[in-house]
Amino acid sequence: MSKRQLAMVMDLNKCIGCQTCTVACKTQWTNRNGREYMYWNNVETYPGTGYPKKWMDLGGGFDAAGDLQEGIIPNIEADYGVPWDYSYDSLATFDYTAGNEKAGLRPTSEPTWGPNWDEDEGTGNFPSDNYFFYIPRICNHCTNPGCLSACPRDAIFKRDQDGVVLVDLDRCQGYRYCIAGCPYKKIYFNPKISKSEKCILCFPRIEQGLPPACAQQCVGRIRFVGFLDDEESQVHKLVHKYKVALPLRSDYGTQPNVYYVPPTEAPAKFDAEGKVIEGSQRVPTEELEALFGKDVHTAIKILKDEKEKRAKTGESELMDLLIAYHHSDMFRLDNNYYQEFAKESGKSLLAPIDERYSSGKNTKEITHFKVHA
Amino acid sequence: MIKKLTLGLMFFATSSLFAEPAITAIKVSNSIDLSKTKPNDAIWSRAKSSTIICYPQTTIKFNDKKANELNAQNKAKAANISAIYNANSLAFKITWNDGTQNIQLPQKSDTYGDGVAVQFAQKFDDPKKLPYIGMGSKDREVLIYLQKAVEKYFEPNKDIEHQVSRDNTNAFGNDLKKYDAAVKALAINEYHKVFVGEGFRSMTQVRSDYGKLGMDMSYKGGKWSAVFTKPMSDEYVDISKVGAIPASFALWDGDKLGRDGLKYLSSWVAVKFQGKKGGDALVDELTSEPTGDVQAGEAQVKAMCASCHRFADQNAAPAAMGPALYNIGGYSTSAYLAESIKEPNAVVVPGYNRNAHKNFSWYSVDDNGTRTTTMPPMMSDDKSIADAVAYLKTLKAEVEK
Repeated sequence: MSKRQLAMVMDLNKCIGCQTCTVACKTQWTNRNGREYMYWNNVETYPGTGYPKKWMDLGGGFDAAGDLQEGIIPNIEADYGVPWDYSYDSLATFDYTAGNEKAGLRPTSEPTWGPNWDEDEGTGNFPSDNYFFYIPRICNHCTNPGCLSACPRDAIFKRDQDGVVLVDLDRCQGYRYCIAGCPYKKIYFNPKISKSEKCILCFPRIEQGLPPACAQQCVGRIRFVGFLDDEESQVHKLVHKYKVALPLRSDYGTQPNVYYVPPTEAPAKFDAEGKVIEGSQRVPTEELEALFGKDVHTAIKILKDEKEKRAKTGESELMDLLIAYHHSDMFRLDNNYYQEFAKESGKSLLAPIDERYSSGKNTKEITHFKVHA
Repeated sequence: MIKKLTLGLMFFATSSLFAEPAITAIKVSNSIDLSKTKPNDAIWSRAKSSTIICYPQTTIKFNDKKANELNAQNKAKAANISAIYNANSLAFKITWNDGTQNIQLPQKSDTYGDGVAVQFAQKFDDPKKLPYIGMGSKDREVLIYLQKAVEKYFEPNKDIEHQVSRDNTNAFGNDLKKYDAAVKALAINEYHKVFVGEGFRSMTQVRSDYGKLGMDMSYKGGKWSAVFTKPMSDEYVDISKVGAIPASFALWDGDKLGRDGLKYLSSWVAVKFQGKKGGDALVDELTSEPTGDVQAGEAQVKAMCASCHRFADQNAAPAAMGPALYNIGGYSTSAYLAESIKEPNAVVVPGYNRNAHKNFSWYSVDDNGTRTTTMPPMMSDDKSIADAVAYLKTLKAEVEK
């Protein structure tokens, strides 16, 4: 457990599945160097296969007694999907006179699966009772990370100052037990460098007082970022004061720090004549309970009550929070905190290496990384 | 009946045959640069090969479900190991059977390369207090040479300009060829690494040109052959002034998703330098058979150890309660076993990440980082310990044919 914990809240009622977060993350971090197939941030349609396929069934996490569970390591071809691309070269070298049936612009590999392959499919019968909603997923920066516990090299660490979980790429030897250990499958093997990589919660941005790219770019303003112990932060209010934001699959025992406001605002079902069935639940509450635990019932009630209160009286702090008027309120990162922490601990910012090893007695040179002062 | 009797007699007459083997390093001319030796060089015909058994590492179990299934029934593997030396270097050649050649590929997430390692003890003046076999222990550090079969890999963050996929560049034609060549030049084509370790999880890579010396492996006809060359003297381990050293060997089978602790591991093996004096105590210690009474030891060990450790048919202990002893006789020395029974705190290695099995702490750690084992001293009289060691030494998988 870290001294403080940064957390993110995502309001699923407002996620429109536009994948802007996905793209913001991809262009910033994962469009190169063996990370092409990785989505540190992805938005999946629920119910759906997810990314990687059926990640909820792949094990990892902890049992009730606190023992790390075995897991299955997905692979690129079958479970994530090989990222295909189109090359200028294929166009430039294509013989347009040969009467080819296929166009010159061809994928470099045959597309078979990808992170949003089954987007918007959902389940049920249109229009009577079909439903789906989006779950944007990043690393949960767990308080009890499965990846960290599984690592046989102590290469994964949780930063004291904000609980961000990072891989020390100098120590990582690409053994991949972390992937088996993470129940969310949010740590990935980079085959090109033979090391594991994951969402870093944009710590270089955070240390400068900027929110993670996915949160900054979110057009639906569904993402709140702040310290859980900061009572002024909207994250604190949503998680602890109003208790409407809940962790995803907390039954895995990793104590995740990304919280979700469950989707409550689906339209009612229609009957055979296409008439609204009053009071019906299009998104089954049992599904929400499976994802967000038993507390989801209370959360739904609070959300409904506050919505009604707002409608009647025009007042509700919770509804104001969820409307998300200003980025400056949604993100409370307190730039000075990091500056002060660095000064006090004598550590430099922007050093993605576990300090436990940076003065290690065993190596003369620590890393190939350029550490910025 | 007659056959049985003969075998019994043979056992008595030639018990030394059943003792642990040693490796004799043959002296070669100082003018030969051993760091350039390849597995198929003619010079190896002058060396004498010893059969060293590497046992499946079962002390701790990892959390890769598929790998655990593939490795559940592992038998021990025999490796043929020979050694040559001169004033500058010591070289090992290791040959072992592996029906499948597995190479880790840079575009696949589910390939694991076959691999091999040699472990050297930093200090070995007291042959009864060698480093813990699993990558050393506190104040008993080891130096590990490791090579794995890889196609190629890249170091992170060296050249950002050449990190994007070739299809994401704006280049085509000759420019694309140039781009490909620049990327190719950044690739590292061999996995040759050297680590310093003082116990599981502590292994740290030596980041200098040091590790790039003298390693090579090649596959032919269902066999891997690998060569490791170590300078006789360097800043980590000095072996230039002794008559014998301890070394241990490990093999990885990529076909069974082998990596890290999913390996086959030998015990400390005595390597005797031909024509050099000294090291007799070490050779004796590592080649002698345990003298205790196996049956008496078995009774004691089953009565005293099975509540925390799993071994042989004893599986009552919770899985993560204590280190599993299924192959402990294969990769531990008698001296280590005796020491651990009598004085469990002498060597307390970091086991699992303590967070992985919170209810089964193998040890506690104080503010100074000193580990204190959860295991109490089990026996104190020499006879009981010798008997227990004799039994524990029988705990090992049979050798693969």
